[in-house]
Order: sequence, then structure tokens, then C-alpha cells
Amino acid sequence: MTKALKIAIYSGEIPSTTFIERLITGITTTGTHVILFGAFRSKPKYNSRVKVVVYRATRLSKFWHLFRFGLLLTLFKPKEKKRLDTFLKQRPTSDLYDKVKYYPVLWYHPDVFHIQWAKGLDDWMWVKEFGIKLVLSLRGAHINYSPIANVEVASMYKRNFPKVDAFHAVSEAIAIEATKYGGKMESIQVIKSGLRLDEFTFKLREFKSNASLNILSIGRDHWIKNYRVALDAIFRLRERGIPFFYTIVGVSENEALIFQRKQLGLENEVHFLDTLAFNEVRDAIQQADVLFLPSLKEGIANVVLEAMALGTLVVSTDCGGMAEVVIPNETGFLVPNRDAQAMTNALMEVAQLSLMDYQNLTSNARLFVEQHHNEDHMVAQMQLLYDGVISRTL
Amino acid sequence: MKIGLVLAKAPGYSETFLRSKIQGLQQSGHSVVLFSRFEADDFTDCPVILLPKQYRNIVKQMGMFLWACLGLVPHFKSVSSFVGLERQDGESWVRILKRLYSYAPILKTDVDWLHFGFGTLAIGAENLAAAQKAKMAVSFRGFDIGIYPIKHPNCYLRLWNKVTKIHVISDDVTKLVYAHGFKGQAPIVKITPAINTDFFSAAHPAEFTSPIKMLSVARLHWKKGLDYTLEALSQLKQEGLRFEYRIIGAGPEEEALKFASHQLGLQDQVLFMGQLDSGQVKRELENAHIYLQYSVQEGFCNAVLEAQAMGLLCLVSDAEGLAENVLNGQTGWVVARRQPELLALKIKQVMAMTKIDQQKIKDQAMLRVKRSFAIEKQQEAFVKFYQE
Repeated sequence: MTKALKIAIYSGEIPSTTFIERLITGITTTGTHVILFGAFRSKPKYNSRVKVVVYRATRLSKFWHLFRFGLLLTLFKPKEKKRLDTFLKQRPTSDLYDKVKYYPVLWYHPDVFHIQWAKGLDDWMWVKEFGIKLVLSLRGAHINYSPIANVEVASMYKRNFPKVDAFHAVSEAIAIEATKYGGKMESIQVIKSGLRLDEFTFKLREFKSNASLNILSIGRDHWIKNYRVALDAIFRLRERGIPFFYTIVGVSENEALIFQRKQLGLENEVHFLDTLAFNEVRDAIQQADVLFLPSLKEGIANVVLEAMALGTLVVSTDCGGMAEVVIPNETGFLVPNRDAQAMTNALMEVAQLSLMDYQNLTSNARLFVEQHHNEDHMVAQMQLLYDGVISRTL
Repeated sequence: MKIGLVLAKAPGYSETFLRSKIQGLQQSGHSVVLFSRFEADDFTDCPVILLPKQYRNIVKQMGMFLWACLGLVPHFKSVSSFVGLERQDGESWVRILKRLYSYAPILKTDVDWLHFGFGTLAIGAENLAAAQKAKMAVSFRGFDIGIYPIKHPNCYLRLWNKVTKIHVISDDVTKLVYAHGFKGQAPIVKITPAINTDFFSAAHPAEFTSPIKMLSVARLHWKKGLDYTLEALSQLKQEGLRFEYRIIGAGPEEEALKFASHQLGLQDQVLFMGQLDSGQVKRELENAHIYLQYSVQEGFCNAVLEAQAMGLLCLVSDAEGLAENVLNGQTGWVVARRQPELLALKIKQVMAMTKIDQQKIKDQAMLRVKRSFAIEKQQEAFVKFYQE
């Protein structure tokens, strides 16, 4: 019987984002053991195949973590500890906190160390020196804009990407992006996000043509979401006489947007909400006619997949990997990036759709998600990626 | 007369407006004392009294509070008056005690005028001047009246009934003061910003050459509308215009703007220069042809005054005070905000003008800035402000 793989899925925080949590629970169903390292924000609940090696964000907890694993390594793996300590001394910047993070990883020595956020890559290159395979997920800000706006991040990627054993890209577009920093195409596997479709019940919406349009955007409060242009587009929509109600979830404190709403006189039509819990997000999507994604760059936005699964029509910018899921006239509406007028036009077109056209589009979208974005498929592909790294076939 | 000026931070070297105000008052025989939360390294124009810090450590905070209270004992009259006024306003004891700690240095200093340099600084400090039997002045400059009250409605209602005199930097700011609940309880005096016109003057403004050199001096902040500016320039690039655009300034939107520049394909045209000193800014102005200030919110903007004084063709948005700063069609051009296509169109029109027509605009702008926005004029206005 072959030994079960030991995979460290590292995001730094426990629990992590929805997608990473899905990966953690999903991957254990294949018999793989998962180890989670890092700081935890709330008490995690996982199955018995997930080992959680965490500390709280207090000095005492970090000290205990350091003491415990420092002692274990000194007693049972003194040579490895010495090698790691020597390596840390040679680094230009290194502190005790590094040891808090690194000692447990050296002690448990996973087969694969899978980093979820690329900007932390430099901190973990050392694991390769100890025979641990390094896998890096490429998603969101860390690949889409951080290396563009920050030359130091770009040069760190160029230095380290060629040494990474395998990459997981959440879209084809991101895979191409990674090659710009020395990631080898043959080591990049595109594995698209998967949903647990039983949590997203599809419903054919009773959409009324030319009635007031209920538009919804959901996302973190960040410039990459481009709500500034979204509000300009919405302003034009009102000028064209289209009745609507626009809600943005996650930006209730955004000063720039609050100011813009006031300056454009949109207080009656536009509402900003604080972040919502998973169930509330699902309810909000189900109540909306349109899920509007005005982003400047995305991998493949989970919220779009969720809307497609639930039966809400999507209007998205053609950014990052969005064109891989939002297919014009088939699964939704795709508009050019940064183009307020095109966004207005698309929303107007949606407002005028017949019930049949609306339902055809949303049915196609659901089918697309079922075929390409279910969780089982994602987990199986991730397992293949890990197996490939271990057997060096990738 | 002794004037207590309240600022978040002592003015830096390049903040001519505030420094010259202080110098002007001193030259007229008044003494000025500055209250601020943070120190400025090179500021020696007047005494600076730092306001107490807040500490996370409760024991340390309690100790500092008791120390501040001890220091207030000789000023019992002001303290008692302050507490009485706060109680009349329905403030809780906890809040009053916090304010006593935060403003203890002000309560300990006798002044004739207490002048808050920005409206936001006067929130929660409305009774300080009356407690000391001093007059209270508040300046409104842009963010404090254009943006802050939108997120914090009615934040100035208490202030309007307490303030002796209000200083605004533009007519549009006056309108905003009224829009936020002011009902004429105190006189409003407009004193526009001013610049050192001896320093910012160009003997020979740069002639148009290709590529056209455009410039903005702006903090990298959303209110400066630099994202709209980049979109306008992207349109011009697509139409084949050859240009270079330099942005002088630093700020929180750096990442977003660098990404925008990359995504719009403007990496070779747009240069982020970071923060520069006034000498370097002047050199950049000497080499540029067109100055852009396409803000979505702006009190007045000294940088536009400096650009006009240096003989640049200035295109600005119609955000608040900018339309007073630049007279549309006479000293530059004012374009409706948030419409990059209109900005792109206006840049093309300006470039298509004859040299004679361009020179006429430049001359008018230089003359107007020299006549109406010189430091000496501002200094006189502030001396009058406190005397009348």
C-alpha cells in the first residue's frame, strides 16, 4: 500500500478564503493528508485527515510555538535545524518570527508545500533545500497587478518562479501572466475554481423586461474592482431613463465611492452595504437581476461563478480570465475593460431582454458551471497536480 | 494680539500658504503660537506646542491623563468654563474628560484668537475658544467641507453656532458651507491661497515641441482624478498624439495608477516622479507645455496657480474652486469633471490653437496670478481678518 501524501496548504491564516477552504476539505476525500500552518483567527473545524499546526497572534502563543518546535527539532532533528538556522543567518533580513513560522514546517516535513499567495514565495524557497516540493497557486492581486505596480515583487518572481516545482493557475489568462516572470508553461496547470453545486440551487428567475433592474456587485473594497467606473456607467444608465436599483456589497465605508455617489446625485438609486456572510451573499445574488462585475483584473471571480450557478445573469468586464466563463450571448454579457459607456449599453440591453432570452442565458450559464466548475473536478485535478509533482512527471 | 493656530502638523518647507500667513501676522506685530499633533523637522517660524498623544497602554494613558489634569489646576477658570459649556451641549463626562486631555495645552495658553486650520480639526473642539474668552476662527479648504461631511453628515452643526469667523478659500467652498447646515451665524471671509510669484515666474515659457510635455503636481489620491486623466491620455495615444506626461507626487493610489498606466498602454508616456521639492517642481514646470489638474474634488489648488505663473497652458476640471482658479477661455480651460473624452478633446483643441492665441492665454494667466494671488496680498487679508 502506498503511503498517503502529506500536503501543506499554506495561506498564512486559518481559516482562509472560501476557495482555499474548499480545497482543504476536498483534497482529504482522496485520502491525502493535509497540514495547515500559520496563525488562526477562529477555531477551525476539519476532518481527521487535516492536521492544524497553528498559533494565536499573541506573543505568548508565538513563543510557545517556537519553544515547542525548537525543542523537538533540537532533540530529534538537530542537523536539519542547524542547516535551517545557518540559512536564516545568511538572509539579509531574518527575525525570530521566521523561526515561529518555519520550525513546525521543518518538523512535520510535508511532501509538498503549497503556497496560496505568490508574494510570500521568497519566504518559503528554503523548503526545496530540504527535499520538500514547492507548489504555488497563482490567483488575484499577487499575479494580476502587484508585480506590475511594484518592481521589487516582479524581480522576486523572476528570481524564484523558475525554481518552483509546479504552479496552479486559476485561469488560462493567469497562466500566461506567470510565464512573463519565468514560470515554465509545462509546469503550470490551469485548474479552475470549483463550486459545491449542491450549495447553489439553480432557479429560473421571473425576469420582467423593461421593469426596474436590480443590479448587484459584490467584492472587497479595493481599486481593482473598479466601482468608480461602475458608478459612472450607472449614472449614464439613469440619464438614459432606465429604472434601476444598484447595490454594492463590501464598500460601505469607501470614502471615494460615497463622495462619487453624492456628486453624481445617485443617493436614491445606489446603496452600499458592508460585507455579508456566505448565506446572505447567496440570498442577495438570488434577489438580483444582474450580477455586475466591473473589475479591472480578475482570475475568474468566484462571485460570477456563484451567480451563474444560482441563475442570475452576469455582466462582466473582459478582464483576466472572465472571458473563459462569460461567453457573450451564451452565458452572459462581456464588456470592454474600463469602458463606462459599454457597461451602460450592456445593462440597457439586459433591461430589455425578454423573459425567454434571460432564462436561456441563465440556463446556459448554469450548465457551463456544472460542466467546468464543479468541486469534484477541481479536487481531482489538484490531486493529479500533487501526484505529478511527487512523481516528477509534471 | 496673540493668535493660536491649530493644525494637524506644522507646515513643511513647501507649504508657502501657511508659512507666509504666519510670517505676515508676525510682521504686523502679532504673535503666533502653533498647536499641532505632529512636529515638522524644519519649522522654526513660531513656537509649536504639541497636543498630547493617545496611548494604547491603559496604565500609561491614565498616568498621562493625571499629569495633564495636574497641569490644568492653575487654569481652573478656563477648565470650569469648558466643562460647563460641554455639559450645556449635552456631552458625556467620558467625552469631556477625553477632550480635556487632548486639548490641555490649548486650555493652558492664553490667546485672543483660536484658529483651526481645517474644519475637521474643530470638531469636538468647538468650546475651547469660548472657554478662554477668545474668538474662534475656522478655515475650510476642500476635503474638510467637500468630502468629510458626506460621510459624516451634520458634523459641523455645533460649530456653526460657536464660530466667530469663517475663512474659505473659494466661493464654491462658501456654497458647500451653506450646503452643510450653515445659516449665516458668522461672517465668511474668502482669502484665496497665494504663491511666491517671485519664485514661480518664467522668463521664457517652453515652446511646443514634439512630444508634447504634460505635467500634473498632485498627491496620488482619488480626489485628484488622475485615473480619468490617464484615460483621456490613452484616447489621445490611440489617435496618434505623441506626448509625455509626468506626475509629481506620492500617495495611496500609486499602485492603482501605475497599474492603470500599464493597462492603458501608457508605460512609455507616463512617468511617476514621486515627491519633489519646490526647486525641482519649478524645473519640471519650466520644461512642460501643458498642465493638467482634472480633479473630482479640489478646494482651490496652489499647484495650478504655480503652473499659471510659470506660463503653462492649464486645463482643469470644474471641481469646486478650480473654476475660480482658472478662468475658462481666459487664463486656461475648465472641463466638466469625470468625462475623460471631454478632456482629451480639449487638449487637442488647445494644441491646435495658434501660437499667438496660446501666448495670449499664458500672458493673461501670468498677469492674473501676479496681481491676485501674490503672498503679500494674502498676508494683508489675514491681518485684516483678525482685526475687523
